Amino acid sequence: MSLRESLATDQLHRYRRGLFESLSKRWVFVGLTVVPALAVFTFVNLFPMLWALAASFFEVGALQPEWNWVGLENFRIIVNDDRFWSSLSRSIVFAVGSVGLQVVAGTALALLLNRSFSFKRGVRAIALLPYIVPSAVLSFVALWMGNSRYGIINQILVQTGLTQEYLAWYGSLNLAMPSVIVTSSWKFTIFVTIIVLARLQSIPPSIYEAATISGASKLDRFRDITLPNLKGVLFIVVLLRGVWMFNKFDIIYILTNGGPQNRTMIASIYAYRTAFSDFNLGRAAAVSTLLFVLLVGAAIVYFHYFEPSQEVRVE
Amino acid sequence: MSADTPIGYWYQLPYQTRKKVYNWLLNLVLAVGLVIVLFPIYWMLATSFIPPEQLFSVPNPLVPTNATLESYVAVLETDVLLWYKNTVIFAAGVVTLTTVAATLGGYGLARLDIPYKKTFARVILFGYMFPPILLSIPMFIFWRQIGIINSLPGVILAQTATTLPFSLWLMWQFFQTVPYSYEESARVIGCSRFQAFYEVALPLAKPGMIAVSIFSFAIAWGAYTIPTILLTSNSKWVLTLGLYSFTQAESVLWGQIMAASTLLVLPTFFFVYYLQKYILRGFRATRI
Repeated sequence: MSLRESLATDQLHRYRRGLFESLSKRWVFVGLTVVPALAVFTFVNLFPMLWALAASFFEVGALQPEWNWVGLENFRIIVNDDRFWSSLSRSIVFAVGSVGLQVVAGTALALLLNRSFSFKRGVRAIALLPYIVPSAVLSFVALWMGNSRYGIINQILVQTGLTQEYLAWYGSLNLAMPSVIVTSSWKFTIFVTIIVLARLQSIPPSIYEAATISGASKLDRFRDITLPNLKGVLFIVVLLRGVWMFNKFDIIYILTNGGPQNRTMIASIYAYRTAFSDFNLGRAAAVSTLLFVLLVGAAIVYFHYFEPSQEVRVE
Repeated sequence: MSADTPIGYWYQLPYQTRKKVYNWLLNLVLAVGLVIVLFPIYWMLATSFIPPEQLFSVPNPLVPTNATLESYVAVLETDVLLWYKNTVIFAAGVVTLTTVAATLGGYGLARLDIPYKKTFARVILFGYMFPPILLSIPMFIFWRQIGIINSLPGVILAQTATTLPFSLWLMWQFFQTVPYSYEESARVIGCSRFQAFYEVALPLAKPGMIAVSIFSFAIAWGAYTIPTILLTSNSKWVLTLGLYSFTQAESVLWGQIMAASTLLVLPTFFFVYYLQKYILRGFRATRI
């Protein structure tokens, strides 16, 4: 390396060092790390929430941007609307049914996958697939499989003699809600499986060995080691999934769009219709605000049992 | 226990045999579970290869007899490639924005003394609980007001609302498992604070960053609620919305829907197969 080149590299190093030094000043460093995340979070999470709160006191049309102050009128109309209350109770049925199914099936699948068997890695990867199938794809595949005239599920059921005739899974009054619950659980069961499997893997095998040596049976080990370890994680999963299923939109929107005869019109579909069928964004914002209040209630429970801001530092 | 009853007979068998039978039974249950998990995916694939006119002649064979690419050819003549391109841009945008903001923010929260940090943590996780439908209706009003509705940058920003809170929290937790002493050593030998972050902490946080990228990719790739509300013209659609274009008033083009779905799903399968250990490791770091 010639003297000139080495001087140039030297210069470059000095610039680089100077840049790093100035980036290390406390306020620059805070601005560089925390501020971008905080800014995006404020803009896309906090603003829309506040916007919904504000808009719920106005009449906002879907087509023109003017806002007209109406005070509590939006809330008064919603609270007096029977469809709102029945959609709320359907949301509860949907959430309780699907979360129950997901937690039981998801935990069972995680326990089955946590054993040792051949092709473990491949089998696990396959079992996790449904979680990344987009909800829209899942809904269309389910519509096709459950089709009342050409659906493969009806073909299999009739051929094996389990049912006498083809059923309209998503179109009949009594079957629509159970079908929607089962369909949405197909995907989100895997969420439970992923979380529970991660927790199971973090239980040290030595605990099980110690228990076995002291004469604990398989059942004892499950009851006294596995279950207590899963208790915390299952509580969080039930709460999170409960909130999400309560407000699920996309799957039901494609499968039934709230039908037949509003039998699957849960609160999120009600809010969507208020906004984009009745073209009343202000009232839809008021529905969002009411659902938001329910969410806050769930969040208080959540933070009471689970302290998310705890810190550990590994030295 | 006597050997006369079935239960008695069972317990007379040697322990090894019982264990083997028991294991086989559990494997059988697992196999049934896997069939339930896989059958819809299989049927999507199979339908996309069945000649469209055969779809309506019931009963369909479980294995397509004369497979054809007809549905795929028909799909490629529609706007699917445009929607695919939009999906790729959309997902790339969400993943980049989320990963960069979450990594920087997570590091800052883990290492710097900032007032109201714990309050902030609660607000972040509350954001994670917030479902897309409740966000997208006010977003529609707000985005329209500031003129970023029906645009890819606008919808990328909007979708980040569903990925950023959890990612930020995950990176925060992850940086706490990266030993601080490494950075301190770097500082002692003369590194600046930025250099310690950039050259020491960042490489160690790679598994966390990969977990965050996969998480946000999975959400963005399959997003439906926010795009369907914010993207009003079909030249801006992502593919999940485009699937709707194959349902017509009098008939539904099932073969084409399944072909387009297959095109949408395949890349994600590839991702998860190769990256599953990062997903599990990432979730483990959160200790939930």
